[in-house]
Amino acid sequence: MTGAVIEAVDVAKALGTGVAQVHALKGVSLALKGGELVLLMGPSGSGKTTLLSVLGCILTPTSGMVRVHGRSIEGASPETLAKTRRDHVGFIFQSYHLFPTLNATDNVRLALDVRENPVEGAVAKAREALASVGLSHKVRAYPRELSSGQQQRVAIARAIVADATAILADEPTAALDSENGRAIMTILADIARDHRRGVLVVTHDRRLLPFASRIVHIEDGRIVGEEAGGGGGE
Amino acid sequence: MPLVLKLAFRNLFHDKLRFIATLIGIVFSIVLVTVQMGLYAGFGSMVTTMIDHASADLWVMPEATKCFEDPSLLDDRKRFRVRAIAGVAETLPLVTAFADWRMPSGSSTPIFVIGSDLKSESLLPWNVTDGSVDALSTPRAVAVDRSYLDRLGISGLNATAEIRRQKVKVVALTSGIRSFTTTPYVFMGLDHARAHTGTAANESTFILVRLAPDADLETVRSQILANVDDVEVLTPTEFAGRSRSFWLFGTGAGAALFAGALLGIIVGTVIVAQTLYSSTKEHLIEFATLRAMGSSSRYIHKVIICQALISAVIGFAVAALVDFGVVRLTEGGALPIVITPGLTLILFLLTVVMCVGSALAAIVQVTRIDPAVVFSR
Repeated sequence: MTGAVIEAVDVAKALGTGVAQVHALKGVSLALKGGELVLLMGPSGSGKTTLLSVLGCILTPTSGMVRVHGRSIEGASPETLAKTRRDHVGFIFQSYHLFPTLNATDNVRLALDVRENPVEGAVAKAREALASVGLSHKVRAYPRELSSGQQQRVAIARAIVADATAILADEPTAALDSENGRAIMTILADIARDHRRGVLVVTHDRRLLPFASRIVHIEDGRIVGEEAGGGGGE
Repeated sequence: MPLVLKLAFRNLFHDKLRFIATLIGIVFSIVLVTVQMGLYAGFGSMVTTMIDHASADLWVMPEATKCFEDPSLLDDRKRFRVRAIAGVAETLPLVTAFADWRMPSGSSTPIFVIGSDLKSESLLPWNVTDGSVDALSTPRAVAVDRSYLDRLGISGLNATAEIRRQKVKVVALTSGIRSFTTTPYVFMGLDHARAHTGTAANESTFILVRLAPDADLETVRSQILANVDDVEVLTPTEFAGRSRSFWLFGTGAGAALFAGALLGIIVGTVIVAQTLYSSTKEHLIEFATLRAMGSSSRYIHKVIICQALISAVIGFAVAALVDFGVVRLTEGGALPIVITPGLTLILFLLTVVMCVGSALAAIVQVTRIDPAVVFSR
């Protein structure tokens, strides 16, 4: 056991086949621990999102190993991977991916509803999650009635409501202005610090550096550097 | 409301125009199937109406009789042989035959004569609205259905006409005794029927057998078959089944009705499948998001099947209203559409099966979804 929430060990990932095949990851190792906010930075095409997908059990590595809470996911079926995701991982996407036909509460509640066993008091939990990201006054609002920053907060509430131990965010501030971007990062940093969750944020944005406990640089499918960040954390 | 159901509802109602198109497809399909099946039920009921209203335990008829409207003759010696068999309480002759009805105006129309022993009440007209059945015992008395008054060229009770150049008088009017062949039924006493159809006094078309209270039907049947040549012996249910089979399948009418119903099912399935498929395609990124969030395939399938079930229930409800109107419209017609509770249940189940079956294409599509697409959009 390493104490990591999610850990990639010497992971390689090839995408596509034949002449179109791309080696997106070439022997990457990275551990995300509870209580830390890690920034994963690198240029476009460096493999950031592929690594996020592999760590989030959406993609399976071509070689190497991914462990979630110390358990390898090697050979797991798509349904087992889905269960791992719903039990341990919360995702935040650049374009939010909220359900336009559901209000904020129901969007958050979905993360509880997809669980096999119904969660008691799901509505109350969803509203609590919304309150924790400062949206207690928008519980009935539909995505179209929310600003971009508010929509991303709903997405964060959805990621944390089921008590996922790892929050994986793909460019969560890319579509936001700097004020909203800071607000979102503050929330994510609080989630890491106060709830002892591991938060991994893929970004290009150097303005986020002050929020990170650790910054990992990736280029051409390889980790090329790591440094301590200016943010809190472990 | 469960969130799965809410999501399914919202996905459907999100594009109202498409949902209306789906409903129209389902309604068209179900109404078409209902009309065909209702016609089938109505037709099936009409072809056996005389058998259903006759009072007999067994029907004895010449061999190879196809249906009630297929008259061949049996002579009375056979009837006496049947009467002599142990367990037979009564043998009641019934005369049926096609004849010409000459109207007061001089023109004529074909009719189907039914003559029975009035005292034994083996097959008397029912639903009498004017006049009386008792009056049929008077000379030249007949009963007709009021829906055929125009066809028979008469005004009503006490009107006169001619059958085989012999005068007849309408002494009773019935309601709802319609013939699917559109040839009016004309009821009269047994002897009058023989006289009006040229049937000899010792002949009849059918022998209706009533059993003694303690008689065993199968034993009596086998005894009749053993003792009387060239006859068949059927229970009312068997005879009704044979008549129905002849008219529905022997003539191709039933096949045409079933073909229409099948067409309705195919049209409905294709329309619903197309709608669910395009709806799923439009919401693919949402299903991918659900998958990324860790939803099982089953959860996503539930959303799609709920969409199919909602379409089925709403579509069926609208179709039922249309069907109700169609039934009312055809109630007094030559061939009414009959929708029984059983048929309604079958149609509802058919709608559900059709809609859920239509969801298969959408389910196959969503099963292949790659949750990684959430990062590329």
